Amino acid sequence: MQQSFRQSMTWLHTWFGLVLGYVLMVAFFFGALSVFDREIDRWATPHTRFEPRPMPSYDAMLAPIFKQIVPEAHELDEARSRVGTLAPTLPVMNWAAYTTHRDPVLRLFAEFAITNNPNDPDDHVHGTLTIDPRNGTVLPHDQLKIGSEFFYPLHFSLHLEWKQLGYWIVALAALVMMAALVSGVVMHRRILRELFTFRPHKHTRRSVLDLHNLTGVVALPFHFVFALSGLTIFAGIYLPVSETMFKPQAQAHAMAEAKTKGVAFRPAGVAAPLASVDAMVVEAKRRWDARGMPGEVGFLVVNHVGDVNSYVSIYRAGSDRVALVGQAVHFDGPSGRVVHEEPPPSAVAGVNEFLTGLHLQHFKHWLLRWFYVLGGLLGCVCIATGFLFFVEKRKRMHASTGVSGARWVDALAVTAVSGMVLAALSMLVVNRVLPADLAGRADWEKGAFWAAWVLALLHALWRSAPVQQARIAPAWREQCWAVVLLAVSAVLLNWITTGDHLLATLGRAYWPVAGFDLALLVSAGLAAFAALHLRRRERQARAQPLAEPVDEPTTTSAAPEAVRA
Amino acid sequence: MPDAALGALLLSAAVALAVCGMVWLALTMDTHWQQVRVDAAPTRSATVALRLCGSLALFASLLLCLRADHPTMAPLVWVLSITGAAVGVAFALAWRPRWLALLVVWLPAGRSAN
Repeated sequence: MQQSFRQSMTWLHTWFGLVLGYVLMVAFFFGALSVFDREIDRWATPHTRFEPRPMPSYDAMLAPIFKQIVPEAHELDEARSRVGTLAPTLPVMNWAAYTTHRDPVLRLFAEFAITNNPNDPDDHVHGTLTIDPRNGTVLPHDQLKIGSEFFYPLHFSLHLEWKQLGYWIVALAALVMMAALVSGVVMHRRILRELFTFRPHKHTRRSVLDLHNLTGVVALPFHFVFALSGLTIFAGIYLPVSETMFKPQAQAHAMAEAKTKGVAFRPAGVAAPLASVDAMVVEAKRRWDARGMPGEVGFLVVNHVGDVNSYVSIYRAGSDRVALVGQAVHFDGPSGRVVHEEPPPSAVAGVNEFLTGLHLQHFKHWLLRWFYVLGGLLGCVCIATGFLFFVEKRKRMHASTGVSGARWVDALAVTAVSGMVLAALSMLVVNRVLPADLAGRADWEKGAFWAAWVLALLHALWRSAPVQQARIAPAWREQCWAVVLLAVSAVLLNWITTGDHLLATLGRAYWPVAGFDLALLVSAGLAAFAALHLRRRERQARAQPLAEPVDEPTTTSAAPEAVRA
Repeated sequence: MPDAALGALLLSAAVALAVCGMVWLALTMDTHWQQVRVDAAPTRSATVALRLCGSLALFASLLLCLRADHPTMAPLVWVLSITGAAVGVAFALAWRPRWLALLVVWLPAGRSAN
């Protein structure tokens, strides 16, 4: 039975935070890295280190390349398990190309219809290609884009694809995070009075809690909005009403929408050639100019490819605003006439675009990008200090009563903090060491990531024994040194294998690679500082007897002592 | 001046104003005033001046953000400038509090402890 509202909030904050904090750590850290996912891609795939450029000519370059796209093999296997045998060639439904001001390479997408599924007339599979837009060369498919294809999906799916389990776990964590923020505000009695309070020279428990409160409160708007917008983006997965309960209504809505736009909802089944898409792009740009918002093409879709009902939708890249893309102009495929120019979005659609856009951030604003990294890392600090406070608060009591709870939490915290950084760095090092044309290269890189993380866990479990005596786990210090070693190795290996050392990349102002190398070096510096600091603390702790008095400061905003492990 | 340079200038000024605003607001609190100045607490009029300057600086920062970016983007930049400034002020108060005295040299000596 909880005694008061604040105490029940404390219980909620402590235990939900502890259990889902590990997931949130992944979401925040790899989310922060995803702000620069395209740049990490450049670092990991050196043959793509060139300048981004606008969408290339459809007529001259993209049209023949789209025809080369084939469905993904694993999607075909899954489709066969749904419908039995498939037609030898599947009809193309639509082609699309998406680019931003940060993409030197261009990703092309295609959807292919599965025509023989009686349960789902819209059943389809996907295919994709990446090209060099300077000359139309198709780039190798098997080189993992570590930023946008591994770190980025990791932060929302945990790469647990089975039944989309990862999405659900992250969603639960995001929901719990919002509850943790609210309960944290309730627990914290002096939000404004202690807004700027950080006392690193006081004892560990105090300074850790200060840092937890500081990073939680000053970035509260960021934390809340990112949890909320993250949930909004995947609302379609979490509440798939338009696929289940309201499927007929959703279909009817899509048809009505197509009708108001004057575009065909379904192909007619009659073949027809496509007019010049380049001319349509010129017209779309002219219309954006006329609306006082000149821009480049961000998203280009050819719907009902090759059909008399085909239409082309051209969206403006949202480089200068929060929404990803917008101001779509739809063209009739065979004639090239404008059929519909989309008006500004309605209020609800506008809010949705804003929330999605602010989270996915494809805009061109380097300061805001770095602020996002700051917000993400503040979130990591908040969660990590939450773990540390949990351990600090209990480790003496657990040591005297022989309970191992604090040790387990500390070992898992090591794994979730330095272990996670080690896993990411190992992946980068392996990326630079493996030969470029190795078969299954991506699997080796992913394997290195998970293996390093498991090793970090084992190391943390082994080297956290002193927590049982209420001391600092040496695992923290040792993993910090491993971070230093791997981060510096990654920078050196980048130099050795590509010749792009820092002076060269800085010299030609190639920031994607220079910036990432610099970030690695800064990380190494911070880890070295932390390791030295930890060594000093460990020595001090050894010099002092165990019965160190616990001075609970009177002005604390600490959680009431009623909650104990 | 080219647009990019003007934008960078506006945003730098916005961030600088956010930092000033947060420093001034922090120094309305006695504990932080003591860290920065030798005396115990700001005078009553100094507190009012700090609060006013702090709020005005934050407001001016918002105006500069709105001048620099699309109105959907500006509030994000502004809110996160304040977040960054708050962390910076907290760290400065923890490790180098006297540096912040530069921003309040114009204020008279505060009340002494009694």
